[in-house]
Amino acid sequence: MARLLFWRLLRTALAVWALASGVFLLSHLEGSTAVELAQPALAELRATGGVTTPAARQALERATRHRLGLDVPLFYVGTHRPASATAGQWHWNGLANQYHRWLRDLLHGQLGASFRTGEGVGARLQQALLFTLPLTGTAATLAVLLALALAQYLAGRPRGHGLLRGALVGLQALPLFVIALGLLLLFANPETLAWFPSYGLEQATDAELDAGYQLPLYLWHMTLPVIALTLSALPELTLQLTAALEAELGTDYATTARAKGLAERAVIRHHALRNALLPSLAQLAELLPALVAGAVVVEVAFALPGMGRLLAEAAAARDFPVLVGGVLLVGAARLLALLITDFLSLWADPRIR
Amino acid sequence: MIALAVPHLFRTPSWAVAWLGFLMLVAAVAPVLPLPYPPHTLDLAHIAQAPLAPGQHWLGTDAQGRDVLSLLVFGTRTAVLLTLPAALLAAVIGALLGSAAGFWGNRARVDISYGVVAVGSVWWALRLPTPWLGGLAAALGLAGIATSGRRRRNVAFRLPLDALVTGAVTALDTVPRLVLVVALAAGAGSISPAGLLVLLTLTSWTTPARLVRAQMLRIRTLPFVEAAQAAGVPAWRVWLKHSIPHAINPLKTLFPLSLARLLGLESTLSFLGIGLPPEAASWGRLMVSYRQEPSAWWLFLFPTIMLIITILSLNSLTRPPK
Repeated sequence: MARLLFWRLLRTALAVWALASGVFLLSHLEGSTAVELAQPALAELRATGGVTTPAARQALERATRHRLGLDVPLFYVGTHRPASATAGQWHWNGLANQYHRWLRDLLHGQLGASFRTGEGVGARLQQALLFTLPLTGTAATLAVLLALALAQYLAGRPRGHGLLRGALVGLQALPLFVIALGLLLLFANPETLAWFPSYGLEQATDAELDAGYQLPLYLWHMTLPVIALTLSALPELTLQLTAALEAELGTDYATTARAKGLAERAVIRHHALRNALLPSLAQLAELLPALVAGAVVVEVAFALPGMGRLLAEAAAARDFPVLVGGVLLVGAARLLALLITDFLSLWADPRIR
Repeated sequence: MIALAVPHLFRTPSWAVAWLGFLMLVAAVAPVLPLPYPPHTLDLAHIAQAPLAPGQHWLGTDAQGRDVLSLLVFGTRTAVLLTLPAALLAAVIGALLGSAAGFWGNRARVDISYGVVAVGSVWWALRLPTPWLGGLAAALGLAGIATSGRRRRNVAFRLPLDALVTGAVTALDTVPRLVLVVALAAGAGSISPAGLLVLLTLTSWTTPARLVRAQMLRIRTLPFVEAAQAAGVPAWRVWLKHSIPHAINPLKTLFPLSLARLLGLESTLSFLGIGLPPEAASWGRLMVSYRQEPSAWWLFLFPTIMLIITILSLNSLTRPPK
């Protein structure tokens, strides 16, 4: 078992490395846009009166390229620039290339510095995670607990609850951003019900407020995002678990349990549930990365300062170090989820040991 | 009563098929439909007008005075023209790669001349030092293939096809699709509809490949495959003509599901403002536009209804008819 687990983790780790390398190489092909975006705008330069001649502008661009580490070749091998005499010829670039530097820094635990702000990517991601983890963690816990309760409730009456089932199927069909926008339209809209704020957590937490006032404010801002994430994760978990429970309730041991005189609820809770959980545990491995992706949508919709919005903004601004760091982090979350799932399935089914 | 009726209504596939057919028809004839207003005309006299108000905007207008009905129709066109080819391409690529990986496993014996052709043409295409050497190698390899029918023992090497395909699938699946598309779209710069199509295909061929591979592992042990091999049918013919028709069975269920997923992904991308260029009409973008005009519930409601009915009918196609 330990060996199997080790190989599985090693394969996933390799896959994360390959994917991050792919994203790194693909993104850095488009280095010139990043340089343009990292430079001050031309009008701004004119206003300060510093750089006006084309030569000075070129020097500035070279300096920016050097600062961002884009002045060396991209990969170990490459073609010459199209302008040079031997265009299209392949040659060896040596170890002073962008990919080698990135990989070396990564092995030393450094993710580089953001193109936009110059901050360390690690610090940026940590700061964003501190915000996102409570959000997604709460949503995941709520979704799992609600799914457990709802599935037991639904499996108790296989033909009833048409309304609830229909609502779950309908909810499953909706993309997360529709749920988020719908909640905003209903509950954070001056035209309908303005119970919750639609944005503005950053301003609220920046202000000099005492902790006793900040916590309710934080909770007030986080209610709708948590509800949206929970609602998006809930239907799939519930429907899957209900189907598994209904299948387990038709088996012989469930009939035996009923023949012993147990109530249906006790049959579900003490006999069928643990067996029905196994397929759902595999879903749990998908849940953690899926919630990170969900965080992208929810944080953009509610203007929250977290991991998801960091990624979306980095993508818009071609801030590649942050982007690649984010991909690595999500991959790490996947590794963690795999590990947790394997331990949970060991707990649920001792035969696997 | 309604609660009981609605799920049953959506459980009958004929309803779903009719709706999907209607959408395809709308998408096909959108440019010639007699719409009162073209999709991108700004009717500045009627801004954010409610549905059925005086004027000719049946479903109202958005904050810039564009007609919601036209935007919906052209949004349908965008959705169909983007998700249908992407899902088809992904299914074909996934089926070919997955079935090849499942059929040959890691023991695919490839004649050395094919390898020479591949290496030679890649050498020539990439213009590695002295490109004519690659061309020569490719020509020699082709000659080898042409004459190999007469030779009895061929030199062959083993291609770890299964490891390659499963490796690629695992790598693409480690990160949620949305995050991957966002990261890659940033690298590709400003993205065209064709680029988005490639991106969607690249990130969604993995699920069909997984399913078809698993099915093929089962199929290749069945007696009729062995019988075909014993009868001396070449391996590639057994693969293409005898095994693939059975191995792609799971795709019948998966295809509507992957269409639904792509539809959701496309509208999410429009919401995030990455996918399509700003001038393309899209349901997702129409939904977001209510934020400029918080009282305009119709901007959100109509595309949401379209999206939810479409996804529900696609989902209902995956269930077996009762």
